[in-house]
Amino acid sequence: MTEATIATSETSAAVIAKPGLPSQNGKVDVLISMRNLWKTYDMGAEKVHALHGVSFEVKRGEYLAITGPSGSGKSTLMNLIGCLDTPSQGEYWLNGKNVSEMDDDELARIRNQEVGFVFQTFNLLARATALHNVELPLIYGGIPGAKRHEMAKQALSAVDLTDRMTHRPNELSGGQRQRVAIARALVNHPSILLADEPTGALDTATSYDIMNLFEKLYEDGNTIILVTHEHDIAARARRIISIRDGLIEKDETVR
Amino acid sequence: MSLRSDAKPEATGFGRRLSLPGRIGSFPSLRIAALWESFLVAAASLRQNKLRTGLTLVGIIVGVTAVIAVVTIIKGLDQTVASTFSSQGSTVFTISKRPQVITSREDFIKFNKRKDVVREDAEAIFRSCTACWRTGIAANSFEIAKHGDQKFEGVRLRAITPAAMFDIDGVTIDVGRLWTESESAAAREVCVVGPDIVTNLFPDLPIDRAIGQDIWTGGHRYTIIGVLQPLGKIFGASRDNQIYIPYANFEKNFGAHNSLVVFVQTETAQQLEHAEDQARAIMRNRRGKTFHDEDDGFALETQDVFLNLYNSATSNIYIVTIGVSAISLVVGGIVVMNIMLVSVTERTKEIGIRKAVGARRKDILTQFLIEAVTVTAIGGVLGVLSGFGVAWLIALLIGFPLLFSVWSAVLGVSMSSIVGLVSGLWPAWRAAKLDPIEALRSE
Repeated sequence: MTEATIATSETSAAVIAKPGLPSQNGKVDVLISMRNLWKTYDMGAEKVHALHGVSFEVKRGEYLAITGPSGSGKSTLMNLIGCLDTPSQGEYWLNGKNVSEMDDDELARIRNQEVGFVFQTFNLLARATALHNVELPLIYGGIPGAKRHEMAKQALSAVDLTDRMTHRPNELSGGQRQRVAIARALVNHPSILLADEPTGALDTATSYDIMNLFEKLYEDGNTIILVTHEHDIAARARRIISIRDGLIEKDETVR
Repeated sequence: MSLRSDAKPEATGFGRRLSLPGRIGSFPSLRIAALWESFLVAAASLRQNKLRTGLTLVGIIVGVTAVIAVVTIIKGLDQTVASTFSSQGSTVFTISKRPQVITSREDFIKFNKRKDVVREDAEAIFRSCTACWRTGIAANSFEIAKHGDQKFEGVRLRAITPAAMFDIDGVTIDVGRLWTESESAAAREVCVVGPDIVTNLFPDLPIDRAIGQDIWTGGHRYTIIGVLQPLGKIFGASRDNQIYIPYANFEKNFGAHNSLVVFVQTETAQQLEHAEDQARAIMRNRRGKTFHDEDDGFALETQDVFLNLYNSATSNIYIVTIGVSAISLVVGGIVVMNIMLVSVTERTKEIGIRKAVGARRKDILTQFLIEAVTVTAIGGVLGVLSGFGVAWLIALLIGFPLLFSVWSAVLGVSMSSIVGLVSGLWPAWRAAKLDPIEALRSE
């Protein structure tokens, strides 16, 4: 994993050099630190290792893509990063917290506060308005009503959906739905924006719009992790980690 | 604008996330927002699935209706019985040859061998019982009453003396008058009747025009001198179909062979027991009983015997009836559980989304429990209403007063809510422990 570590330090240099990026007291701010992560699934008689020993770091304000063919362990890695799952072995530090040993409810809290998910199929509540969908993380975060509305409205206006707030998902186009999902992901000011094939269900033009939105969010200082198997999408990121057979095959800074 | 608060906190107005003390500090108080969210979600989901909600409601409504109707009817009956038997008050006891309730043939034969209670017994009690206040005697006979072509069967001819027996019986004159001492002593053919006698024999006459009319009963002609105030019905049977005549006249016209009943009243309820003891001693003495004899040779009873008999006969029936009707609530609970399980399966994806954005097990558990309790509480309210409706209908048919108690309404709603809580628990727990990854992957 030495390659990865070296690559990371190079990246961080690039990140710091970029103006407008957050750094606390001028120090390099490590947001994610994965240390020798293993994920093993017990399939009856045999054990399947989805990840065997993955280590890397992500700094605040990075724009990272994780790519790999299906079955590479990329989804498993995404679930771990998003705190939907815990590693079988190894340590995962997210924003200074050791997530790898947390129980279900602690993980739920971390997901609520630190992670904003964007899914391929949007995963919006079909019966709720755009505004309500965006408010959902705030509800579970215990934000009182008036402030919640205010925050959700700001998040929606940030993705140019001010005029669609009372619409339900089935009244919105695919691109609009994904923007609602992005607003929902960002409304709680998470540490990372974690997008799983965010353009997989969109046409080319809309995909382009969404990727431009990510670009803008990145320039605003958000930490973005894209999980995708599409090379042109991954190429929009500043750093690409390629996964194969549960290991990091390549970790390169591209732009 | 920037969504990243760390970058430009002053521009966004959000403030820096980690420096928001209210945020972290208020985390445990998310209950109210999450509870309200749960309630809204529950309401929306119940609205969305009208058929499913309707079926669940029917299951609960039937159960609650059964329980509420049964409880209400029972309370009504209890009240009727209690008020009827306590109309004579707790200051009255009776002495008679046979007790009012006989439970076996052997007893019946034994009681029949006793000496008749006669007028002299009453006089002895009147003379010697110092704790006794008023003493009277009464004898009953069931007769047919007639006037012209009008005929009224099953009339209770009640012979009493003295006139204070009207008080002891708890009846009061409505129109007309009671008989005088001289009329009573002279064994005159005068009578005071219950309002049913008038309405049946003189259907065209107003009550007050019945005074002075003649009626035939037991082969003798009597003149109506007074009409009693109505007493109403008990279990559908009227208590206003009686004809009161002076006891002396009864002896003259019907003979004195009937064993009569001595009524004794004390001035206060506290004196009752003392008076009973005195009367019992006097009567035992008159029957020649020593303390070796177990049997009194007469029956000394208060009206409590009826209440006690009624209570002992019905309390078990009531428990069983309420228990059986509660079974339908259990069935309702199973319906709720079934439907909640379907609901959880159908909404696995939604649960996954909620978990992904930070819902904890507790939040999901609460959401589904609230849904179950909401539907069952609504069913409970509707069930209470329809239960009262059913009870009202039955009360109307049988004829007893209806007691709509707040207590049973509260009981109905809280019982159905508990059913919802219990039957929602397992489905809700299944939802709460769903793996977020699996749940998100489901379609």
